Amino acid sequence: MARSPVAPPEDPALRERFEREVLPLLPNLYGAALRMTRNPQDAEDLVQETYLRAYRGFSGFREGTNLRAWVYRILTNTFINSYRKKQREPLTVPDDETSDWYLYDKLGASNVEASAESEVLEKIPDEDVQRALEDLPEGFRMAVLLADVEGFSYKEIAEIMDVPIGTVMSRLHRGRKALQKALWETVRERGLVTD
Amino acid sequence: MSPTDCEHVLKQIELYLDGELVASMRVEIEHHLGGCDPCSGHAAFQLRLKEVLRSKCGCDQVPPELVDRLRALLERPHAHPS
Repeated sequence: MARSPVAPPEDPALRERFEREVLPLLPNLYGAALRMTRNPQDAEDLVQETYLRAYRGFSGFREGTNLRAWVYRILTNTFINSYRKKQREPLTVPDDETSDWYLYDKLGASNVEASAESEVLEKIPDEDVQRALEDLPEGFRMAVLLADVEGFSYKEIAEIMDVPIGTVMSRLHRGRKALQKALWETVRERGLVTD
Repeated sequence: MSPTDCEHVLKQIELYLDGELVASMRVEIEHHLGGCDPCSGHAAFQLRLKEVLRSKCGCDQVPPELVDRLRALLERPHAHPS
């Protein structure tokens, strides 16, 4: 891994601020790294490298810009540069005629009691939901992860992923539809509904 | 409620739930949802889906040794990570 040429902050106040504002992001960053790498060891390494880069670059961080988005951009870039090449996977999801309401419609058409569609969602095991997200092709997975799990705005996601906002919207839209299809498969396999 | 209204509203639900609509449009959608059970049912489900994703994909336990590694990193940032 190439070292950043930027020196870490020597200023104790800066270091204190890093510990106060960047370290607490760890649980979310680690979760995001897991979804990106799909492997606990790679996720740990990715998080460590991200913190190292963030720390070394922290003195260059401009006040008034979004710190969380800045750190996630480092995470994303580090992932793309260092870990992605290890993985072989499809690059896109089909841009087909799948309904925007695929899962809702499927649940509504099965033997789920009225208004109980949401309760079925709760019953899907965490691991299955994680796998459904992790199985999305990278660009789509990142968009959905950053929007729905991390709560970033479209503009922030565009900056983090370095793509136009229109691309973010299209990846979210298609990624979510693909996710709904995967979750429906899980719901059926787990026997959470009867056909 | 005309079907055209519902079609228009359902197309905007994703942006609405993502908090990406301008205020005037948001008010229009909320007004419609307030009086349309089918559309508010759709919106409530999609919101739940977002929430489920957030809660089920955002609950990973950070390994304690990673926390230790990061603390050590901050102590000695010039050292190469092991």
